[in-house]
Amino acid sequence: MRIEFTLNGIARNVTVEPGMNAQKFLQDVMHVPSVRSGDDGTGYIGNDVILVDDTPMSAQRLIVAQLHERNVRTVESLSPEPGKLSDLQQALVESGAVQDGYNTPAAALLLDDLLHRIPKPNRQEIQDALSGLFVRDCGYEPFFKAMDLYQARKNDPDAAAAPTFRPEWREVGTPRPRLDGVSLASGQKAFVEDRVVPEALVLHMLRSPHAHAYITSIDTAAAENVPGVHMVITHENCPETNYTQAGQGFPEPSPHDRRMFNRKVRHVGDRVAAVVAETHEAAKAALELLKVEYEVLEPVLSIEQAEREGAPLVHGGPQQYVVGAPDDLEEINKNAEPRDGTITYQFPIGANPRKNIAASISGGLGDTTAGFEQADVVIERTYKTGQIYCTPPETHVVYSYMDNNRVVVHASTQVPWHVRRLVATVLGMPQNRVRVIKERVGGGYGSKQDILLEDVCAWATYKTNRPVYSHYTRTEEFTACSSRHPMTVSVKLGALDDGTLTAVEMNSKADTGPYGNHCLTVPMNACSKSLPLFLCDNVAFSVTVFYSNILPTGAYQGYGAPQGSFALQTAMAELASELGLSHMDVIEKNRVREGSRLELMRILGEGREGVAADVESCGLGEALKCGAESIELNSPVTSDDPDIRIGKGFAIIQQGSGLPGLDQANGRVCLCSDGSLLVQQGGADLGTGLDTVMAKMAAETMQVPLDKVAVISGDTDATPFDTGAYASSGTFFSGGAAMLAARDLNKKVLERAAHILKTVPEELRLDYPGVVTGGSRNLTLAEIAHEAESGEGLGPIAGVGSFTTEHHAIPYGAHFAQVAVNVRTGEVRLQKYHALQDCGTPVNPELAAGQIYGGALKSLGHALWEEMVLDETGTPMNPSMQGYCAPGILDIPEDFRAEFVVTDDPHGPFGAKSISEIATNGAAPAVAEAIHDAVGVWIRDWPFTPEKILRAMGTL
Amino acid sequence: MFPIEKYHMAESVQDAVRALAEDENARVIAGGTDVLIRLHEGHKDYRNLVDINSLDALRRIWQEDDGSVCIGALASFTEIMDHPLVQKFVPVIGEAVATVGGPQVRNRGTMGGNICNGAVSADSACAALVHEVDLVIENVDGERTESVIGFHAGPGRVNLKHGDLLKYFRIRPENYLNMGAAYYKYAMREAMDIATIGCAAGLHVTDGAISELRLAYTVSAPTPIRCAEAELAAKGQPLNKTTLGNIAQTVEQDVKPRTSWRATKEFRMHVIRTLAAKVITNAAWKIGEKIA
Repeated sequence: MRIEFTLNGIARNVTVEPGMNAQKFLQDVMHVPSVRSGDDGTGYIGNDVILVDDTPMSAQRLIVAQLHERNVRTVESLSPEPGKLSDLQQALVESGAVQDGYNTPAAALLLDDLLHRIPKPNRQEIQDALSGLFVRDCGYEPFFKAMDLYQARKNDPDAAAAPTFRPEWREVGTPRPRLDGVSLASGQKAFVEDRVVPEALVLHMLRSPHAHAYITSIDTAAAENVPGVHMVITHENCPETNYTQAGQGFPEPSPHDRRMFNRKVRHVGDRVAAVVAETHEAAKAALELLKVEYEVLEPVLSIEQAEREGAPLVHGGPQQYVVGAPDDLEEINKNAEPRDGTITYQFPIGANPRKNIAASISGGLGDTTAGFEQADVVIERTYKTGQIYCTPPETHVVYSYMDNNRVVVHASTQVPWHVRRLVATVLGMPQNRVRVIKERVGGGYGSKQDILLEDVCAWATYKTNRPVYSHYTRTEEFTACSSRHPMTVSVKLGALDDGTLTAVEMNSKADTGPYGNHCLTVPMNACSKSLPLFLCDNVAFSVTVFYSNILPTGAYQGYGAPQGSFALQTAMAELASELGLSHMDVIEKNRVREGSRLELMRILGEGREGVAADVESCGLGEALKCGAESIELNSPVTSDDPDIRIGKGFAIIQQGSGLPGLDQANGRVCLCSDGSLLVQQGGADLGTGLDTVMAKMAAETMQVPLDKVAVISGDTDATPFDTGAYASSGTFFSGGAAMLAARDLNKKVLERAAHILKTVPEELRLDYPGVVTGGSRNLTLAEIAHEAESGEGLGPIAGVGSFTTEHHAIPYGAHFAQVAVNVRTGEVRLQKYHALQDCGTPVNPELAAGQIYGGALKSLGHALWEEMVLDETGTPMNPSMQGYCAPGILDIPEDFRAEFVVTDDPHGPFGAKSISEIATNGAAPAVAEAIHDAVGVWIRDWPFTPEKILRAMGTL
Repeated sequence: MFPIEKYHMAESVQDAVRALAEDENARVIAGGTDVLIRLHEGHKDYRNLVDINSLDALRRIWQEDDGSVCIGALASFTEIMDHPLVQKFVPVIGEAVATVGGPQVRNRGTMGGNICNGAVSADSACAALVHEVDLVIENVDGERTESVIGFHAGPGRVNLKHGDLLKYFRIRPENYLNMGAAYYKYAMREAMDIATIGCAAGLHVTDGAISELRLAYTVSAPTPIRCAEAELAAKGQPLNKTTLGNIAQTVEQDVKPRTSWRATKEFRMHVIRTLAAKVITNAAWKIGEKIA
């Protein structure tokens, strides 16, 4: 049918299929990139919002015919002129509300509509306006700050978005609009899906309905005959290469325990086949015609089932070792099941797949037996954590094509270089024929450290010689994605009557699920990012990780630290309760502080010997003091409602700043002939503001304003190697490399200036704004650069920096919670949540705060609402946004604060340490203690549901 | 792409009814909140659509001469909650639809769709049940009125025959005058969640005694229900804690909660009991009564 409508003020007249989804129509046919999807058409995520006759509506719940004679507006209509932001959008950018940016256009539209309805909305009205929008990155709190800023700017155009730190510097520590803010907030093309050409083929995956089965036959003939189908990939025609999907530095500690497609499926949703076709319709039709027969096996669905004598083996195939093979390997492999495929270990990780053990490790310091004997009180507690999902608004997505016999991969990834290495390995190509371009990432949070789609999409491109696009459904984002490893952590603590710890033991079991990506390092992290918070001479830990047929696990912001932190910090609170001492006193007696030496870190390496750590910056004392004051920790609160009990709790937390001795970041800063700077940097900004961090490092070092700096990053052709954005390495490593590169450039600029001025560099200095002084005359950067590129010049000037370190720059923090528990219904309301964090220098204060809010809210979700539930066959019950229960804006704490305790780390660039991952570690133990404080029961497994609380209280 | 084979934008109620009568496979699309999701899932029942979105007559909210409050089947949740007639006479209906998260959903979702899709968790169902709303339905044979009591036939099923078009809801004065009404949605969390249990109460009090209680639940049986036994137990009893306790116990005879991955049967039953007392207390408060 023919429809007439107005789109952003322009009359349009289009012939359409009336039933076409309005979101697809606007994005694909009308080329409005900002009208997105991410939830299989349910509209739950809300990034499909449009204004129809000035009324916000979910485009996915409209068909095109319904746009006839309507006035349709998208975020583009907010711009006062093309490519410019409205005051509201500008306020969003400057308040840290724009992180991954995938849903920012929708937020801008909804808030703009709110301001038309209510010119000065209160907090509740803002919450209501955004109650149909899901964001995962910034914890929603920055939206209120943005609205405050928007209102304040009406009277005071210079109103600041966030406090400034480190006044001695111009850019570092001062809030500045992030470099990609305009592009993201105005809905310009920025994400992988925006790059896809119309003629691209699409790739859809057939996924296993069984948790554990052998594929006995696949008949692809009928599917291949569907018009428009180019190829069907199965275990019979995929590359033989064994690999791990974990995006870790090579050689990975994760076992290479899978091929692209396997004869055995190991979880509901495992890859069975991929169809590559001209259209989605053809691909879907072909999927239905694939005839697959399975030999269904008994699934292993928990740690208990995995460790049971005679349990079915998830990986019963032959094993091989690159180094460190056990002496009895031949014996082990005698009865191997070839259909299970081979596992290749790069080095030993304590695995024993014949007992479903994917990895194991143990170690310690001192003598815990003696420590427990010396103790006046010993407690032993066991804590359980659930399977938790990252739920980025943008599901996993990739677009690849051939260019001059090279494979180009546009990826939404945290690890461009690992993607390049893996794609090259799987395709059997040299790395120089693979280019990976990291686009803006619509949320990763760890799940995009794993390479879940790039391998098969690149292979399809390579084989068909065609552009290929693939985008996870929301269901796939749950069934075939990385998630937090479920863990069972037993903690044994011994202490003297005064609270001094005499021994600490932590015995952990983890479920890695069907494959071993991150199987050693995540559970290991539960120990290495929690035990060093306490100075105890006698410490022991053990970690055993099991294979099973639950949905896959992998990396997730915080890695294993949230699980370990929940167990150890809650146990410390329980110990204090047992001793009749204040929790704070027990923490103060035992906690790490500046000057401590952490021998434990030597034992707790990431799959190899680690490095002992000297704590050279630690804001923990200040965080504890400020938090206890702001939440009035020692003043009990009562409610007028007789059903409500109010309680408070807190936890101390730490993380790392990248992996000393393992990670490496590199940068180049090029001086353009007009004196502007181009930073070429390997680091992958996944929405955290890393590009802006790197730009600030360069601007500060080169004495130029920030607007003189542009950044390209995460492009394996155009930028130098970087291990990737994981393990909290961004600011510390990639930022560090940018600073070193800029220092190198600074030095070279002075050398060139000295050459021009016929003096020595030592006589000269680089001053703001980019002027070399101290010589016979002043030279601007532009003059120096121009001379360098002239016929008499010495060539263009660029600085390079490579950042590696043996130093741990550990971020610390303390999170405080106040909850109200309804003793009749078991409902828990978050009244206050105050997060105090020491990240050294907050380089981007507003974005750093957003990172804290985001991490804290994610972990509040883990503690209170979120979990993946499987039935007895291993089929997930709730693989949807509606079913999974990640928090929305109505769930956030009423009084939600992120505060910085500023320290100056001697090893971090401009004193900076990491910021975001650590924020996921405090909520579970702080809320557990607050619930205990309110109603007297300890809830020791996630999520703390009303039902569990009422059962623990004996009400149910 | 949605697999739509026929699409008809109705120009009038008569046109819609005729189009429905002519095609046994035709389905009504109102706000589209549910139909579009089913289409997205590839349901084949929705290939032929009669779109009633142009029928502004069905979007009205008005009062009839006898005092009946009428809510058009196409009135959006936003229009319902913002409407002065709803706020004045049947506020619990507005409160119930306001629990649906997100303006972009409330601007599109309709009470007609919410009741006609037969969802056991429908937010407006409890409020409709305590107000005993009439459903004014038209088909080619003419107009008829049915009560919402008994309208739900089973999970996802209602007593609409093919060709029926729900035009509006009518709340007669005897079903709202002097009645205190309240709704509580118990969900696992605040954000955009469907109800774990929904409960509404309508209460008439005379001289400190309950002259009539209407108690309704969602997600507590295969359909949204009224609680005959609990209502009987309340009748004539003093409005005090003992009575509330008795009602909470008796309601167990009216409901049939089941265990799901979200919550066990025992827990749902506990919530059902707890909400009875809580919601009746809130309903009493609406008419200036307190629990003795």
